[in-house]
Amino acid sequence: MSFTNSIDIEQSTVVIEAAPDNKTRRYDRQLRLWAASGQSALESSRILVISGSATSTSILKNLVLPGIGHFTILDPEKVTPEDAGNNFFLEGPSSIGKSRAEETVRLLVELNDGVEGKAEMRSLEEVLAKDKEWLSDFTIVIAHNLEAVLLDQLASFLWEDTSNPPLVIVRSSGFLAEVYIQYHEHAVIESHPETTQSLQIDKPFPALLEYAMSLDFENMDVTDHGHIPYVIILVRLLEEWKKTHNGSPPTTYAEKQEFKKSVLKMRKKADEENFEEAEAQAYRAWTTTTVPSEIRELFTEPKVLSLTPTSAPFFHLVHALSRFASTGSYIHLQKLYKARAEEEKAIFKSYLQVPVSEDMVDAFVKNSHALKLLKGKKWGALDADPQALANAVETAPKQLATHLALTALSSFATKQQPNAPLTPTMEALTNEALALLPPGTELPEEFEAAVGEVVRAPTADLPNTAALLGGVVAQEVIKMITKQYIPINGSCIIDLIETWTGVL
Amino acid sequence: MASQPNGTSTDWPGRYYHIDQVLNTPGPRTDPAFLAGDGVKTFLRNQAKILVIGAGGLGCEILANLALTGFKDIHVIDMDTIDISNLNRQFLFRQKDVGQPKATVAAEFIMKRVPGVKVTPYFGKIQDKDDDYYLQFNLIICGLDSVEARRWMNATLVNLVDPENPESLKPMIDGGTEGFKGQARVILPTITSCYECSLDMLNKPTAFPICTIANTPRLPEHCIEWASVLEWPRVHGDKKMDTDDPDHIGWLYKIAAARAAEFKIEGVTWSLTQGVVKNIIPAIASTNAIIAAACCNEAFKIATSSAAYLNNYFMLIGTDGIYSYTFEHEKRDDCPVCGGEALEMTISSEMTIEQLIETLVEKQDIQIKKPSLSTPTKQIYLQAPPQLEKATRPNLEKKVSELVPPGGEVTVTATTLPFSLSLRISYST
Repeated sequence: MSFTNSIDIEQSTVVIEAAPDNKTRRYDRQLRLWAASGQSALESSRILVISGSATSTSILKNLVLPGIGHFTILDPEKVTPEDAGNNFFLEGPSSIGKSRAEETVRLLVELNDGVEGKAEMRSLEEVLAKDKEWLSDFTIVIAHNLEAVLLDQLASFLWEDTSNPPLVIVRSSGFLAEVYIQYHEHAVIESHPETTQSLQIDKPFPALLEYAMSLDFENMDVTDHGHIPYVIILVRLLEEWKKTHNGSPPTTYAEKQEFKKSVLKMRKKADEENFEEAEAQAYRAWTTTTVPSEIRELFTEPKVLSLTPTSAPFFHLVHALSRFASTGSYIHLQKLYKARAEEEKAIFKSYLQVPVSEDMVDAFVKNSHALKLLKGKKWGALDADPQALANAVETAPKQLATHLALTALSSFATKQQPNAPLTPTMEALTNEALALLPPGTELPEEFEAAVGEVVRAPTADLPNTAALLGGVVAQEVIKMITKQYIPINGSCIIDLIETWTGVL
Repeated sequence: MASQPNGTSTDWPGRYYHIDQVLNTPGPRTDPAFLAGDGVKTFLRNQAKILVIGAGGLGCEILANLALTGFKDIHVIDMDTIDISNLNRQFLFRQKDVGQPKATVAAEFIMKRVPGVKVTPYFGKIQDKDDDYYLQFNLIICGLDSVEARRWMNATLVNLVDPENPESLKPMIDGGTEGFKGQARVILPTITSCYECSLDMLNKPTAFPICTIANTPRLPEHCIEWASVLEWPRVHGDKKMDTDDPDHIGWLYKIAAARAAEFKIEGVTWSLTQGVVKNIIPAIASTNAIIAAACCNEAFKIATSSAAYLNNYFMLIGTDGIYSYTFEHEKRDDCPVCGGEALEMTISSEMTIEQLIETLVEKQDIQIKKPSLSTPTKQIYLQAPPQLEKATRPNLEKKVSELVPPGGEVTVTATTLPFSLSLRISYST
């Protein structure tokens, strides 16, 4: 006899799958992270990377391997001897003088037959001047160490229309780097939270409560007694506790200890693991189940309040959830108690104003405790806001110092003659950084260490920094495309001297 | 061309343009001992000898990074051959390489791609090599997926340290990943905390009580354990289960699925069955790239002194934004490998030798599989050879207190580990 048996109304059917095919075997270790739905999103994606630098190819390597659909490298340059020395996707001296886009694409597509790669030898200037719409055709755009004026033009164009792709901005200099994702908003249903969902022991649904109360613990045979699920033990004990405590759960420390003791007292044998588990999980009995505040905030989202038939499914689902929650039933929706969840899912669906795929509804209700809606900002918003920078001097000095050093370098470079060697001085970069802060505000103490590194190696695309950025950016892009897990909101700053990362 | 003995002849002007920017000049945080310029370049490119343990997910990345940063004499050890499930991240391998030794294929690829770099592969176990072998390297980077191999390597390098000979101290840089998470650390044997010092940081493997598996399954994993732990031996007798054999996985999957149907449990799939019985850890190229780069960056900084190295632990979690934590993991005085002090253990005077052995296997900071026990004067229990095992077996039922006086020492050894653990036993009752 088991709890599962007694409340399941559906009959499970055995459908035996065949042994996995070659593609499933190839992707096995990643399918365990983002499943077939994530994989299919990756396979439909089209990625544009601007420049074929060592960092750019490192990023692409980590996206081609898991199987994106398509990538384009936009780069009008020829391979230099310097490129041939630090880029793994060039073949040493034999690549020198050839198109950098063509050479890197050729060596990247070797990694995965299922991925299409294209070399585009136009310059970004030309694309922005004559063929901007071409950019809109990608799922996401990635730009490494792009000249500041061009980067601003690109960022502005992509920001203009919310249907344009997000832009990942990557800047690096020697041991220092920064990654930023420009998006308007990014909704995540499958956030894969680490914390488990509430078991709602404080508010059991009627069938569960009835079942827990119907069991005759005392006269049950020893084997069955040792197999009562701990959830049932807690529901039963809590109900009995409330009867003798004016309907309240244990609140004081002493009461909680007493409750725990009463769990163990119910054992028929000393080694009944289910009762030990119930004691260990007893805190769930006095944990109040409510709609998490972050989810409640979503209910008042402007896009939820002013829903239209063309709103994105995410907002329709949140709207349905808010109506559902207002009935007080939110807590049983998550797919914990199967039969109950099925009934409630049907009610939930009746609140939906547009059709939403069954898979999406399932994923949504299962994750209704961990939904995420990230709101992004346009690239450059921070540097254009002296007060925000002044605040960051106080709240995140280390991160801000590196950010300002990199911004100072790109502002400095913009003022140079094209193709002149980039040899900034500490003084010049410090002045560039100071110009961004409100008058009289001092740079963070850590600025000198950061800017000193930039002066030391202004144009160095170090292989290890490039490889690390390749991993960090690919993780973020995978999270953006699959809409699973949670990408960064803002800047990620990386310092490979002291080996830390931080957000700004 | 691929195996030029002297790398410098294959260099071309501008080759090290990027790297040289940090080797020509110190930064504000660079140690004053850093000698910028030709000396450090010559050491890196012509003298440094580096060993990479593992040519898998981390190993492929490590080899490529080292080659590009200018290390020219690289050795790599790996005992595995290439499987199709490696191809989503181990980017030096192609479909045609499946079945070939990882170390050999990886070494050939690097030498073909990066001119003038010599990579010497060894297709075999780290345990095949002796102290003299490990002494020839300046640095060792580990990209391993096994706790046992890391413990062996760590203990070997700690034992190698000879206080009279500074060259005998070999920095060990260790990386590990799981899904979107990973860690990189720098171990200076006998000076910083070692791998063994942090054993208790490992997650405890999930073990399901056998009575749940046998009687009250609630999860798909319970059904799979039932098929592999109980049904396989019942039906197949002594025939060993091979988790790499698709027929065996197929059989387990069918049995588990039928069990799940009976108990109306959802979620038993082929993939989950394979994952549970093989204890598969999710792995992706991007996380390996991050951790391998962090490891190689430390190797580069140690080899060149161009910047301070990590002290001593970096962990990264990429599931919710990018979260990382850099900290100094502390050395343990009672670490059985580098601590020198006996581990204090208080047990009940009623505890038997067998129970003590169970405790040693399970305890998070010890985790010794199949331990053998002895005191300075007698053997308590030996796992091998068979005749000694037989001779000492009656001791299993005796109380520890009958064989070891209060405050007495017990030495614990295991064939898989190149060190012994000293326990000082006291009794609580």
